[in-house]
Amino acid sequence: MNSVLRLLPRPLQIGLTVFLLTIVGAPVGYVFLASVNTDLAVAAGEFWPERVSVGNYVRIWSTVPLGRGLANSLLVAGTVAVTCAAVAVFSAYVLVRHRFRGRRTVLRALLGMQSIPGTLLLLPVFVLFATIGSSLGVPTIGTRWSLVVTYLTFGLPFSTWIMVTYLRELPGELIEAARVDGAGSWQILLRVVIPLSWPGLVVAAIFAFLLGWNDVLFASVMTDVDTRTAAVVLQVFGAAQEGGAIPPYGQMMAAALVCAAPVVALYLAFQRYIVSGLTAGGVK
Amino acid sequence: MRAGPGWLARPPPRRRRGATAGGAAVWLLAPGGLLTLTVIVVPFVVALVMSLLDLDQYTFRQWLSAPFVGAGNYVEAVGRTSLPHAIWVSGSAAVIATLLALPLGVAAALTTHLPFRGRSLVRSLYLIPYVLPAFVVGTIWRIILQPDGVANQGLATLGIAGGLWLNGPKSYLALIVVQAWSGWPLVYLLALAGLQGIDDSLHEAAALDGAQWRAKLRHVILPLLRPPVALAAIISLLHMVNSFTLPFVLFGVPSPHDVEVLPVLTYVESFQNLRFGLSAAMAVISLVLILVPLLVYLRTVRLDEPEATA
Repeated sequence: MNSVLRLLPRPLQIGLTVFLLTIVGAPVGYVFLASVNTDLAVAAGEFWPERVSVGNYVRIWSTVPLGRGLANSLLVAGTVAVTCAAVAVFSAYVLVRHRFRGRRTVLRALLGMQSIPGTLLLLPVFVLFATIGSSLGVPTIGTRWSLVVTYLTFGLPFSTWIMVTYLRELPGELIEAARVDGAGSWQILLRVVIPLSWPGLVVAAIFAFLLGWNDVLFASVMTDVDTRTAAVVLQVFGAAQEGGAIPPYGQMMAAALVCAAPVVALYLAFQRYIVSGLTAGGVK
Repeated sequence: MRAGPGWLARPPPRRRRGATAGGAAVWLLAPGGLLTLTVIVVPFVVALVMSLLDLDQYTFRQWLSAPFVGAGNYVEAVGRTSLPHAIWVSGSAAVIATLLALPLGVAAALTTHLPFRGRSLVRSLYLIPYVLPAFVVGTIWRIILQPDGVANQGLATLGIAGGLWLNGPKSYLALIVVQAWSGWPLVYLLALAGLQGIDDSLHEAAALDGAQWRAKLRHVILPLLRPPVALAAIISLLHMVNSFTLPFVLFGVPSPHDVEVLPVLTYVESFQNLRFGLSAAMAVISLVLILVPLLVYLRTVRLDEPEATA
């Protein structure tokens, strides 16, 4: 059977796999090596460290406020993730189980909104928050909650779309059966749909989390020194090195890996669900 | 095969078409809808209004009473800024990077279609460039591509003088390479989903016809992969044209002229040059530009039951 299904001759298959793994592995492997190398050696382009030291992983925490950045990222992205998943399941349920006028337009809009350039909304969002802040006398720009609200609205369309693709695969008979048993919409949703859609909820939450964790555009103008997310801390760290005597490249590599670690861990833990979510929506 | 495995698996729930849902159910849409409305639709309208105003740091505080200049910002953006250049850089780099990513992604899908020992590990590794946050990708390539960095040291051992990658004309190549590097796993994912949707009987038929792998690939497999790969190409284009973080972190601001992409130009125009009205006009123009691939995308993705999608 294998020989019938075979797509490539064995040598070509092996050659291609090695080639692709090198493309991925060379830069990523180098980052690991550089992160345990001295700043000086990394700046000189050394590949294999002469002396391996984990000192960079100790020093970064005092060189830049990485700890606070990670805490801010975790708080903001975590809030966005939980809220998005919770709201999305309701919207998605209605979109999948009910027919109403404009439904397909809403579905299209969910997808289309992900492609609106962030730069288009950045300035108006900034201005609106500033206006609200000055007219109501509450701090907005520079606070974590303004960042949360911003990410929420970018995250919701995609989370809802993920839940739509998930819920429409749920067998309709289960819901019909619950209805026959006399359950109302709310009961069906809480007792049947939500318990069955955990994998979908997890994917929706993860994508919303990644949105907050990965963003630089909004975070770079809507945070201040205290509320900076890890992404902005790293970006500022990188940009501030221009013209320095010995750029702390080894530390930057270590910091980059620390910032990537939670994302990679999430992905490894939920790989199967995430891949199905990616192929269903097709958008990061 | 449109978007995702198993899309034929479930017969669509036969519900009464046209029957409206109970009011209570539709209300469940309200929280999500309202939030989306406030932070997407309202700012969108504000952006349109701003693009018609002469808005800078002096008129910013009272932005609603800034002088109305009509299409003035648009005329200036097209005629007297580097916007046309930025459009060219963004568009061409996205197209070339996508063209590089397509064969890589399809090849990766072909190598992991059949089970072998360690396949799940290979699959995870393939996805790493895509999983890494763009700000991390930008940071690590920025260091790799330093004038004395490891990339140039490697090239030097091959007898090639690398030169400057983060400045000057070769930065354009750097942008393309890094975008393709982080973008190809998406093609891989969609191509793999497509491959797994191909029925075994087609493989058997090809084998019965005595087709060798080359003929089978060319006449059976690749034509069947066209829809998912086309979808991947559109998504990848949208992604790369809109990409702000990667070029922003990789090259910094002010960005070198050769890699001054549209999102970064728009950003710099408002948050460094403080020409807010002009920047809003640029942003609106960039939305218009991505509208074409976006509409193609929206037509391609399965919205609903299979038979309902044209």
